[in-house]
Amino acid sequence: MIKVFKYTLIDLARNRAMLGYALLLLLVSEGLFQLEGDPMKAFLGLVQVVIALVPLIAMLFTIVYGYDVLEFTQLLAVQPIGRSAILGGQVLALSVSLLLAQGFGLGLPLLVHFPTRVALVLTVTGSALVLVFSALGTLIALSQREKARGVGIGLGVWFVFVLVYDALLMWLMFALSDRPIEPWVVPLAALDPIDLARIMVMLEVDLAAMMGYSGALYKEFFGSTGGMAVALGTLMLWIVVPIAFAFRTFRGKDL
Amino acid sequence: MMARVVPHAANGAVPLTQRLKEALPGDTILVSGEVREGTLTIDRPMALIGAAGAVIDGDDAGDVVVITADDVTVQGFTVRGSRISDMHDNAGIKVLDRARAHIVDNFLDGCFFGIYLSGSRDAVVQGNRVVGHPQRENRMGNGIHLWHCHNVRILDNLVRDHRDGIYFEFVTDTRIERNKSLNNLRYGLHFMFSNRNAYSYNRFQDNGAGVAVMYSHHMEMRHNRFLSNRGASSYGLLLKEINDGVLEDNEFADNTTGLLVDGCNRFRIVDNSFRANGWALRLFANATACVITRNLFVGNTFDLSTNGDLMLNDINGNYWDRYVGYDLDRDGYGDVPYRPLGFFGLLVERMPYAMVFSRSLLVALLDQAERLIPTLTPLAMKDDHPLMRMPNG
Repeated sequence: MIKVFKYTLIDLARNRAMLGYALLLLLVSEGLFQLEGDPMKAFLGLVQVVIALVPLIAMLFTIVYGYDVLEFTQLLAVQPIGRSAILGGQVLALSVSLLLAQGFGLGLPLLVHFPTRVALVLTVTGSALVLVFSALGTLIALSQREKARGVGIGLGVWFVFVLVYDALLMWLMFALSDRPIEPWVVPLAALDPIDLARIMVMLEVDLAAMMGYSGALYKEFFGSTGGMAVALGTLMLWIVVPIAFAFRTFRGKDL
Repeated sequence: MMARVVPHAANGAVPLTQRLKEALPGDTILVSGEVREGTLTIDRPMALIGAAGAVIDGDDAGDVVVITADDVTVQGFTVRGSRISDMHDNAGIKVLDRARAHIVDNFLDGCFFGIYLSGSRDAVVQGNRVVGHPQRENRMGNGIHLWHCHNVRILDNLVRDHRDGIYFEFVTDTRIERNKSLNNLRYGLHFMFSNRNAYSYNRFQDNGAGVAVMYSHHMEMRHNRFLSNRGASSYGLLLKEINDGVLEDNEFADNTTGLLVDGCNRFRIVDNSFRANGWALRLFANATACVITRNLFVGNTFDLSTNGDLMLNDINGNYWDRYVGYDLDRDGYGDVPYRPLGFFGLLVERMPYAMVFSRSLLVALLDQAERLIPTLTPLAMKDDHPLMRMPNG
């Protein structure tokens, strides 16, 4: 597994798309901090990038890469290496390089321009999002034979998580607004990994507003260590479950 | 006749009460040690000065020091032991219906009311530390309490852990400068029916409900800082029924509601900065002819909210960090109006738990749509000339 990890990592280090992604992130982050006079404003712009763009790119990159290395994977599969070791090495290498790219493109500018607690929260939740969507991408790439189909499904999944789910939830809120649905809104939103990451950042950014009318609700859910554990646990599940399915698919897969 | 300086050592042969009775107008009594003689009354013009470490302990008898003469100075004491009561406003230092009291550099340690001026004029309250009991906060009175006073100066004091930090009722022509009012149970500063007062360079932080100015006219508020006043009904500054005032160069940060304007007329809100508040500005529809210009709105969850369709105020030339317009004629002002009231703001007014969608892509899109084609928000609620760049850098 270590060998697979090593060679995949070397391959990824030479990958132009990966380098481009890291540089693009750096450009966006730096650009925001340079253009905006106020670091807080730049930071809020970055939040949008992390919430919307980072999951998309992490997922698409994983999917496309999965198809691109298919021949190499086939070559590995005929060697005396277990399939779990192959996939394990690849997933690990992908995760590590995506996180490195993000650390370089996002973490570094934040550290330089906006070294705050909330920036740390964004970095951590952003990294979690990368892992979640890379895991989902792995599963999609392995379960679809056709590249175009895989990419299409990936786009669809991203779209659901970033927009459709929220829209449905909001519609539900309107439809049931005369019923006591309040306690359900937060847990339901937290099922969506993007929403969950967003809420964790928001609890820092919008803390003042959170202390308003609805404050109790959020403090109850996330303020306690239990709530935070539930939130992090849910994110972990979003990583572990797709990966587990990916391993199962890969073991039984006819390459 | 020469004014005398009489040294007094506590626990000596003569009690301070007797020295006060024997004092001639204009005398100075220099006190050292800890005086414990119940309520002390100063009934002639004189100065009571505490040497380093001097303490006056009221021994829970009621008030500690009561001033019933003009031209009295009380300086340099630690004052404690005013009785907590439901019937009487017992204070550490109380001035009753007299002029020109000077209360300077005292430490009011856990008094029920700290410094209490009633019917007084031309007084100076400067450099005092007024600290309540954080544990007994709900049994505390006000830190600095003025009732029916005129032309008083409240300067450089620190007030904390009381009910209201600084409380004014029927007080006119008074200046409040460079004070700090922190961690009070209710308001950091509370004005009722008090006209023509100015407060500037004060800091109000972590108070239960922030600062409230009510039913007053011709108020000037400049260079104050309103910080971290959090809670469902907590405001950086609450203005209720205020006419003809100025709010200039103040800083509002990290409050649940930065500034609430309720029923104010001809009030100028200029050059203030609103940062990281939940609601930067709540402008009720009953406010008229207020001018809101050159203010800075950055990093607030909501820039503005209101409670009706009517908008009779002038919002112009502010800086809004959410503004995405352009400036083709390069005059520094955006060419398209900014609408500070978004769809999401309205949604959260109706369903507070919708906060969960804050800063999501969906809300950004819906907000943008509402700004392009306003259907739900009042049409008049807009800034026609939003600033392109932050004022002062």
